[in-house]
Amino acid sequence: MASNPLLYHHHRLREVSFLLHASPSPFIFINDPISPRMTTQAVLGALSSTTSTTISMHLVHVNAVTCFSARLLFDAILNGLAQWTPSWEEGCTNWSGPNDTRRYNESLDAFLRGLKTLYSFLHHSDSNLPRVTRFVIVIERVERLKDRLPDLIVPLTRLAEMTRIDVTIIFVSSGRWDDMRPSLGASPDPYFVDISIPTKEACVAHLCSVFQSCQTEPNLSLNPYHPALEGIHASFASILCDACFPFTNDPDELAYAAAARWPGFVQPILDNHAMERGKDDSNLTERDDNEHLFTDDAMLVDDTHDFVTPPEEVRMRLNRYFKPSITAALEQLYPRFSNAQDWADANKPSPEALEIVFPVHRVDHLSKPRIGVTVKEKPAEPYRNLTRMSKFILISSFLASMNPAKSDLRMFGRGLDEKKRKRRRITKAPSAKIKSGPIKIPQHFLGPAVFPLDRMLAILGALLEENDNDDNFRPSKIDFSIPGEYTDMEVSRVGVCSTIIDLTSSRLLHRTSPVERLDGPPMFKCGVSYDVVLGLAKELDVPLQDLLWDSL
Amino acid sequence: MPTSPSKRSRNLINLVSGSLPLQFHECLNSQKYAILHALRNMSDIQLENDIEDEDDMDRTNTSTSQNLDELLCGTVERGEGNSCLLLGPRGTGKTMMLERALSKISSGDSPPVIIRLSGWLQQNDRLAMREIARQLREQTGASFLSAEVEEETHDRDDEPNPFIDNPADDPETSVAEPSPTHLPALIAVLPTLSRASIVILEGFDLFALHARQALLYCLLDTAQSCRAGANSKGLAVVGLTTRVDTINLLEKRVKSRFSGRILRVAPQTINYWRRLTKAILCVFVGEDAFTDEEDLAQWRTTWETRVQQFLDDKSTLQTLSETFSITKDMRMLTAVLTSTVVTLSPEAPWPTSSQFLTSAEIHRVRPLYPYLHNLPYSAICLLIASVHAGTAGYSVVTFDMLHEYFRDQVRSSTAAPVQINGGSIGMTFETLVAAKIFVSVTAPSWNTAKEFTKYICVVEREDVKKAVDKGGMIPLKKWLNKAQ
Repeated sequence: MASNPLLYHHHRLREVSFLLHASPSPFIFINDPISPRMTTQAVLGALSSTTSTTISMHLVHVNAVTCFSARLLFDAILNGLAQWTPSWEEGCTNWSGPNDTRRYNESLDAFLRGLKTLYSFLHHSDSNLPRVTRFVIVIERVERLKDRLPDLIVPLTRLAEMTRIDVTIIFVSSGRWDDMRPSLGASPDPYFVDISIPTKEACVAHLCSVFQSCQTEPNLSLNPYHPALEGIHASFASILCDACFPFTNDPDELAYAAAARWPGFVQPILDNHAMERGKDDSNLTERDDNEHLFTDDAMLVDDTHDFVTPPEEVRMRLNRYFKPSITAALEQLYPRFSNAQDWADANKPSPEALEIVFPVHRVDHLSKPRIGVTVKEKPAEPYRNLTRMSKFILISSFLASMNPAKSDLRMFGRGLDEKKRKRRRITKAPSAKIKSGPIKIPQHFLGPAVFPLDRMLAILGALLEENDNDDNFRPSKIDFSIPGEYTDMEVSRVGVCSTIIDLTSSRLLHRTSPVERLDGPPMFKCGVSYDVVLGLAKELDVPLQDLLWDSL
Repeated sequence: MPTSPSKRSRNLINLVSGSLPLQFHECLNSQKYAILHALRNMSDIQLENDIEDEDDMDRTNTSTSQNLDELLCGTVERGEGNSCLLLGPRGTGKTMMLERALSKISSGDSPPVIIRLSGWLQQNDRLAMREIARQLREQTGASFLSAEVEEETHDRDDEPNPFIDNPADDPETSVAEPSPTHLPALIAVLPTLSRASIVILEGFDLFALHARQALLYCLLDTAQSCRAGANSKGLAVVGLTTRVDTINLLEKRVKSRFSGRILRVAPQTINYWRRLTKAILCVFVGEDAFTDEEDLAQWRTTWETRVQQFLDDKSTLQTLSETFSITKDMRMLTAVLTSTVVTLSPEAPWPTSSQFLTSAEIHRVRPLYPYLHNLPYSAICLLIASVHAGTAGYSVVTFDMLHEYFRDQVRSSTAAPVQINGGSIGMTFETLVAAKIFVSVTAPSWNTAKEFTKYICVVEREDVKKAVDKGGMIPLKKWLNKAQ
């Protein structure tokens, strides 16, 4: 991926590399708020690419996400430094010293001893030259260490003085050292290297380097990653960065979006080229029909020789046509709602793209140019196939989560006069005393609140009575004299309870009280968002807005 | 100065079209290597003797060093039992002083057994005992832990042979944690060794936190009861700490065993810093790296002149004294100088005061979020939204809240370049959470949706304002100004 690691933020890394080849500080902290992964790759690339005659550097890269326990971390470091790969046939043993079978992952002491043993072992093995043996340990995502193995931070930062060998530890993180610094000044202060946030130029350069690394050998036929297209790609990278910079300047994310959009973007050009060539070929074959000068192989080699970079105006049309789709790609791909391959497949440019970009191919007059994104396929509506009762339950649980319990009587209560009480909002009277302390955050910002099952059933009853009391569907055999009695019976059916359990298991409701608790009603929380409930309410013709205490 | 006067009079090197002439690139590189090497091995640097040299701090450290030497000498040569505490702030050279004393002692006739313990590593007495036993075995070649209760008597008569390589005892010995009851027996072995022993306790204050301070008690008690001239060798216990009230942490019985000798190490003076800076920057390049001797001489002259110019610069001195007044930690100076030297390149081959200041700012008191104004548009929007929430009186924010503020703003203003549907802004928020700009105030819970987790914004309103001003987007500025 990092084809040219020094391209981006290179001078900082050149410094680090120089420092490590000279006399490094025992502890270096690299802070990159945007893309620590790339920085790590670049550091590793820079270190492994330069060789020195006086220093034999042993480099290991450890990710704190994978090394979530002390043993894993110790093993990873020692195996990496010794370039030891555990193999299945040998029982997956770790590196265990030149001649004994000690374990070096038991404790910190053992690890330090292992490090020393390894150091002297490696030092002797390359002692034919008067060289300095140096260990460099790069740990990525150190913020995880603080969460997982906080005890190890101090020893790791003091590794050089504790082992008394030439070892440098490099922490790479998107967080700040101040956030993970152990208390009481237990760790020495690191040598700080700050990676600045990539500029647009750096990102474009990175995209271009990725483009170059994607080129396939041999470049016979014109494919999206053909070197001939480099110029177009550069302008594409530029508009991609322009479109995406309001959201992200992580070069990796940009490259991901580019990978999804580029093949579609360049498709009209490729099509055009193919058509032109088709024309030429037909001309050619007509002319040289008898001579057969060109064999098929020659054709293949010749594929790109007549490729001309399209003029500026074509590029502009291309950009205008595809620009909206770039933002759409980022919207889908940055949160990984979809993956690059699927997105690219779903958003292949329609045949009309060719006509818009190259008006020569236009057969009839299109009404207006459209944008280069196909109609977004709606995700299958997961709530469509819920039963009617489930939908009511979801709405009432949303209401129970959002409304304060005190408001229930006001919102749903009915007097004997059968007239629904008007919802009355208390207008805030300008009270003389100002309450101290922070202001209460409205419930809809805090998300759904917890409610007891009984309350939700009561609201469900009220909802059903209001919106589902069509007498045509009710069995007429049973005689209910009191109004609302039928709904009462309906709500207390076993079916309702089992529906609630079903909804809970599909995580549309969250049960917050433990299942084994017997006393008190079980507590629930609504698990669907406002938009979903709004859709359901529309479907069932429930006036949701009127039923919410704080209108959203 | 090895440079001869005739060569000193040579012309200085001038930059050719903004860059160092090609033949000097190697010189610059070697100079950088040499300086970095000197920075790592500061104790080897010989300072020129000035008259100002004899100030208070230096005298303190000289006498401390002498006291330490004498104490160790007494243990090794006369078999005394000693204990002392080296006390001084971080980065004043405690370890360096001790190492110097130890190397002096070790190069003598009877090198002592040196046992190094660290409060950060040996967090309880059992770990410490295991480490002591292991180091003893490494240095004397005999095992003391597996059955030292039985062997204790043997140890007296047949002394362990220091020349035996690691005896092939079973490796499990070193792995198993010994029982704490063996502690007194293990420590009692120390004076019975064939050589004097020195126990170094780094992070002495942390050992005082161990249960019942058993290790300290045993060590100090053994040291105190060490009788000179008897059949036993000496034992010295040297503690290193930065904590001034360490002695008060000790229990009464431990404190009474401690000799009470506290050797203070004082931080260096600003004068010392200045002289050290000069000495380090003017360190000489090895001759073997060059073919042309004249070039080398010319390089040296130029380099010295430039360094002198750099050091005479008023702003350099100011930066140095400011740094010194913030921390007297020697490692700070090292880091700042390293950073200055590493950035030298053929385009800018001489150290400058502005570069020095930049390096100092990176390492001294680090700005909280120096990159704030470079964040993407949506991140700045979220920060402004959190300022608005703060103005409205909310102490904590949820993503949903910020998103609503943002949505309202996009609705009401026509100049917003961002679409609001889609999840990208949520991803931006996650980046900010990862960079700890928004810090969660509640524990993560599986039944709270992500957008409703409560956060506080660490960035102050002023910083947001500065970032927005620097970014220079008018609509954002207007939006921020609405939050009054």
